[in-house]
Amino acid sequence: MTENNHNAAQNIYKPAIMKIVGRHDEAPGVRTMRLEFQNPADHELFKETYRTGMFGLYGVYGEGESTFCVASPETRKDYIECTFRQSGRVTSALANADIGDLVTFRGPYGNRFPLEEFYGKNLLFIAGGIALPPTRSVIWSCLDQREKFGKVTIVYGARTVADLVYKHELEEWMQRDDVELVLAVDPGGESPDWKHRVGFVPTVLEEAAPSHENCIAVLCGPPIMIKFTLMSLKKLGFDESNVYTTLENRMKCGVGKCGRCNVGSTYVCKEGPVFTAAEVSRMPAADL
Amino acid sequence: MTKILFTDKLNSCVERWRSAGLTVIGPVQRSNISMYGAVKSASELDLNLVLTDRSIKELFFPQSEPMLSYTITKADINTLDFVPPAGPRIIFGARACDASGLAIDDPLFGWDYKDDYWFQRRNETVIVTIACTKADDFCMCTSLKLAPDSTKGSDILLRPLENNKGWQVEELTDRGREAFKTIADILQEGNDPPAATVTVPEKFNADACAEWLKNQENFDSRFWKEISARCIGCGSCTYLCPTCHCFDIQDEGGSFEGIRRKNWDSCSFALFTMHTSGHNPRSTQSARWRQRIMHKFNYFPGKFSANSCSGCGRCTRECPVDMGITETLQEISKLSQ
Repeated sequence: MTENNHNAAQNIYKPAIMKIVGRHDEAPGVRTMRLEFQNPADHELFKETYRTGMFGLYGVYGEGESTFCVASPETRKDYIECTFRQSGRVTSALANADIGDLVTFRGPYGNRFPLEEFYGKNLLFIAGGIALPPTRSVIWSCLDQREKFGKVTIVYGARTVADLVYKHELEEWMQRDDVELVLAVDPGGESPDWKHRVGFVPTVLEEAAPSHENCIAVLCGPPIMIKFTLMSLKKLGFDESNVYTTLENRMKCGVGKCGRCNVGSTYVCKEGPVFTAAEVSRMPAADL
Repeated sequence: MTKILFTDKLNSCVERWRSAGLTVIGPVQRSNISMYGAVKSASELDLNLVLTDRSIKELFFPQSEPMLSYTITKADINTLDFVPPAGPRIIFGARACDASGLAIDDPLFGWDYKDDYWFQRRNETVIVTIACTKADDFCMCTSLKLAPDSTKGSDILLRPLENNKGWQVEELTDRGREAFKTIADILQEGNDPPAATVTVPEKFNADACAEWLKNQENFDSRFWKEISARCIGCGSCTYLCPTCHCFDIQDEGGSFEGIRRKNWDSCSFALFTMHTSGHNPRSTQSARWRQRIMHKFNYFPGKFSANSCSGCGRCTRECPVDMGITETLQEISKLSQ
C-alpha cells in the first residue's frame, strides 16, 4: 500500500488530535475530561460548526473510537468537554489517560437543538443518570444567554446519590434564583443526609408538575426512563412536538456510511441525534 | 457499421492497455474461486462465467483497508493517511449487475462527507461490461428494473457476437472513449449483429414489495420471523453483495504505532448494533434480516432513489442455508397482492 500524506481535509475518517487539559471524576466509573485542539485549523472548524446537541467520536489510537455527545455548551468553544462511563476498550483507554496526554476527536456531527426556536419560552430539562451530559450542554448554552429564555426548570434523577454527575454544577444551579432544580434519587439510593426527593424521574416530574404553557421540554435518559417520562409529560399536557430528546446508537463512521445507527429509515448520525418526541413516535418502536 | 472488437485481438488490447500504464483486471479463477483480478494476458481471463463468485465491490472497497497509520511519541501523535494505490485501471468483462452496484453506492459514499477511498478508485477505473448471453436460476436483474445489458455504472458496453467471435462496442462515457482510443486501430468496423442477450425472468414485483415494506404495520409482521428462521447470521450474503457497504473501523497495532482499518461488517451480526449498555436495537436474527431487506428496498431507495440491490443473486446462490433476498421478496410479492 502506498503511503502518502495528503491534505487532511480530504480524509473524512481522520480525527483531530486533542490534549487532555482537565479531568474530573463525576461518579463511580464516570469521568469528565476537558480537551483542547492541538491544530488551530481543527479548532477553527469546530468553532464554526459546533452547536449544542451535536456529537463526536472520541478515540485513543490502538483502541478505537467511541461515540458520545459534546457535553460542553455552544457558548464555550475554547475546549470540548466529554463525560463518559468507563465500560469498554476505548472508554477504559480514555479513563486511563492523564492530563497532558493526547487523544483524538472526530466531529462535531449530527443535528442540534434549535435554540432560536426556544427563545422566549420556558424550558424544562429532564435527565436521568449518565444522560445529564447531553442535557447539560443545552442547559449551559441557555444559561449563558439567560435573558433569552423564560423560566428554567431542571429535573434530574440518578440511581443513587453517588451516581449524580456534575455535583458542583448541581450545587451552583441550586443556588441560582433563576433556575429551579429538582433532584431525585431512586428509592434506596438516598444517603442519610439526602435532602432532596426520593423517587423515579417520571413520578418526581409529575409531583413537580411544571406547566406545559409556552414550555419546551428537553429529555435525555435511558430508553426505559424516556418511555415513562414521555407518558408523564403527556399527562402534564405537553405536546409531543414541544418535547426534544436525543437518540444514541452504536456508530462507527458518524457520517452516514457505516450503516448501523438507523432507526427505521432514520439515520441517527445525520438526521439526529436530536429529535422531537413526535418524530420519535413515528419511528418503528421495535427498532429503538 | 459499428465498432467491433474481435476475440482474437483481445490480447493485443490487454498489451496495449498495459503498456499505456493501465492495470488490466477481469474475471479470473483463483484457487477455485472466481473473482475480478489483475491479469497480464487475455488468456488468464475467464469470460465464460455467468458471474464471478466474488463481486466487483472489493476492487473499490476492499474487505480490509488501511485508512490511517499512527505513531505516538511522548510529545505528539503523528497520523498519516493511507491512500489507495494510485494508477488507472481497466476492468474488462464486468457484468451489468456488478457495474450497476457500484453506481448504486456512489451517492452513499458521497453524501455530505465524501469518502475518497471509494472515489479515488472509482475515478481511476474504466469499466468495460459484457452483456450477458447466459444466466442461471439465481439471476434477478430484471426484477430490479435492470437488464443483462444495463449500462448503469459502465464506461463501455460490449455486446457479444454470435459464436464468441467478438463484441460490438458501445462507448458510454468519456472515460471509456479515452481508454478505447488507445486500441482504436485494433477495433474494426463491421455489420455483425450481436447475439441475443439472455432472458432473465422477473421473479418478483419490486414496486409491490416497496409498497408493502413502506407500510409501517408490516414492520412488526410475523412474516419476518418465519422467513428468517433459517438464517444463521454468517454474513456471506453481505460479503458477496456488490452493493452492501456497511463497515467497521478497527485499530490494529499497539499504543505506539499501528494502523486504523476500515473492515467489511454485516447487519447480520449481533454485535453490529449492540450498545455498550448491552441493549441491542436489533437483538434477534429476524430483526436483522428485516433490517437487511428494509435497508435495501425501502430506506436506501428513500434516500438515494435506487434499490440497494442490482440483482446479481449471489446472496441466494451462495447462502449456506438456501435463503436469500429472492425468496423473501417473492413472499412479500405474494403478501402484497
